[in-house]
Amino acid sequence: MSGWIDSISRIRLIAGNTFLEAVRQKFFNSLLLISVALVASSTFFQQFDFGTGELKFVTDFGFGALFFFGSILSIAATTQLFFSEIENRTALTMLAKPIYKLEFLAGKFLGAHALMLVFTAVIMLVLAGILYWRETALMARLGEEFLGGRLIDYGDLLVFGLLQWIKFGILSAIALFIASFSNTNLYTVVVAFFVLIICQLQYIARDAYSAMEQGVGQWLVRGLGLIFPNFQLFNVGDQLVFNTANPLPVGTVWQIVGYGIIYTVAFILLAQVNFRKREI
Amino acid sequence: MCDGGCLKHPLFLRLRSVLVVLLALLLLGLVTRPLESPAWTVVKARQPEMNLQAIEGALGQGLVVGILGGFRSIMADFLWIRTNTIWERRDRVKLDAMVRLVTTLDPRPEFFWINGARMVAYDVPNWRIQEEGGYTDVPQSRQRAIDLDQAEQAFAMLERAREFHPQQAKLYLETGQIYLNRLKDNAQAAKWFLLASQQPDAPYYAARIYGELLRRQGKDAEAYAFLKQLHTELPDDPYAQKGIILDRIRELEATLKIPLWNRFQPKAGSAVLPAGPSLEQKVRMLEQAHDHAHDH
Repeated sequence: MSGWIDSISRIRLIAGNTFLEAVRQKFFNSLLLISVALVASSTFFQQFDFGTGELKFVTDFGFGALFFFGSILSIAATTQLFFSEIENRTALTMLAKPIYKLEFLAGKFLGAHALMLVFTAVIMLVLAGILYWRETALMARLGEEFLGGRLIDYGDLLVFGLLQWIKFGILSAIALFIASFSNTNLYTVVVAFFVLIICQLQYIARDAYSAMEQGVGQWLVRGLGLIFPNFQLFNVGDQLVFNTANPLPVGTVWQIVGYGIIYTVAFILLAQVNFRKREI
Repeated sequence: MCDGGCLKHPLFLRLRSVLVVLLALLLLGLVTRPLESPAWTVVKARQPEMNLQAIEGALGQGLVVGILGGFRSIMADFLWIRTNTIWERRDRVKLDAMVRLVTTLDPRPEFFWINGARMVAYDVPNWRIQEEGGYTDVPQSRQRAIDLDQAEQAFAMLERAREFHPQQAKLYLETGQIYLNRLKDNAQAAKWFLLASQQPDAPYYAARIYGELLRRQGKDAEAYAFLKQLHTELPDDPYAQKGIILDRIRELEATLKIPLWNRFQPKAGSAVLPAGPSLEQKVRMLEQAHDHAHDH
């Protein structure tokens, strides 16, 4: 029992240090600043709009900023935090002590994931604030259109933020997995971005295979659909946030959460398998 | 040949590691399938704009960014500005791809659908006819074929638009307008104007034009019955233009030689006029008085 507690304590220490190191990075701060500025300026960009409702436009803009900058941050920060330990040889010192490689990886992951939590929370709070302000202004102007109450479900906005954070967790775990066998920072970042694109688009391949004739091609596409997680599953912003007649069932949200957690844990374990054999 | 040495070859070991990882991920995919499959069915059903059928033919950088998640509205808006530049250059192949791309990225504003359909149905046929030698040199049959070809593409686009906005009268009206103005097909145009008039947000003029199109097809009796009904149902709103409808009704009554006592009497008028004998009764009384005068 005390072994477990010690292990958790070690992971917590590594995660805490990783988080502090990450928060101090200029990269994180500038990316966070750009994202917040972009979300805050969404009402300015609305003048380029050709007919989407104002609230939908602002929401779409905020989700876009969260996905785009969040993906960059989760891949770049995880990779950077992992390789900084290897390149500075601090990993050697750490692993010479009774720290398991899995603890090291879990600590690194949790530190990076805590960073993503801060990033996601800040963006979602800024977005919620802007949406609340615009919705209140619209309600004052077009009261009769809001007879059914507010259009935006702010609680579900945070649920969406949570789902995105879980998705960033899978992405960080994938980056960690690639870093576990890669020799360079750049290689890891590039491959992780390719994996991100595949994960985001794999559903199209799956749609296509259902229309394909039986054969090698169909098996390959089916395999592709199984190997890469489906990130499009997390793209439920409009369904969650806007009060519609047909909202997303709570059970589905839990299924997505479970799916994300399983993949995150699996990629960390796979990273551990690779990292165990690695000579530092 | 291979006395176990090749099994320890770095290349073999690397390949084995890759295969093990792939197998593990494959198994993971199978294990998570019971969670993913039902959730994906629910999520996918709520994202009709992102299915394979919708995006094929619209592939491009913009779409990939859009599918990647977020910025779809702003991406579609900027691509629409670019579509207008392409339209000015009269590049019809690119124009078609861009309109598809924009409407796939953001199918919510009907602006993209309607203006895209107008470009495809009205402008592109002009360009094609110009490319083939101009209106004077291209035979009428060929011009008609080009018009039909482009109109079909616009109809397909508007049909897809109606999947997203099934009760948007503007989209039905647009199909009717293309039939009316480009294809000069009054019968088909009438059908679409009638459909438009049945939508919840239908403008008053949709039904009025339907009545007019019936008249143009020579269906005077049908037009007369429809316009009478329409006049009765329309509210006393200046935008409803009930005066114009009444003029048409009077013209049709003259054409159809409706007896004076059978002619349409506006409901609103009857409420205003003091109660008394009906028009039919008055005419009969006049005729009787006339007969009496002759008898004397």
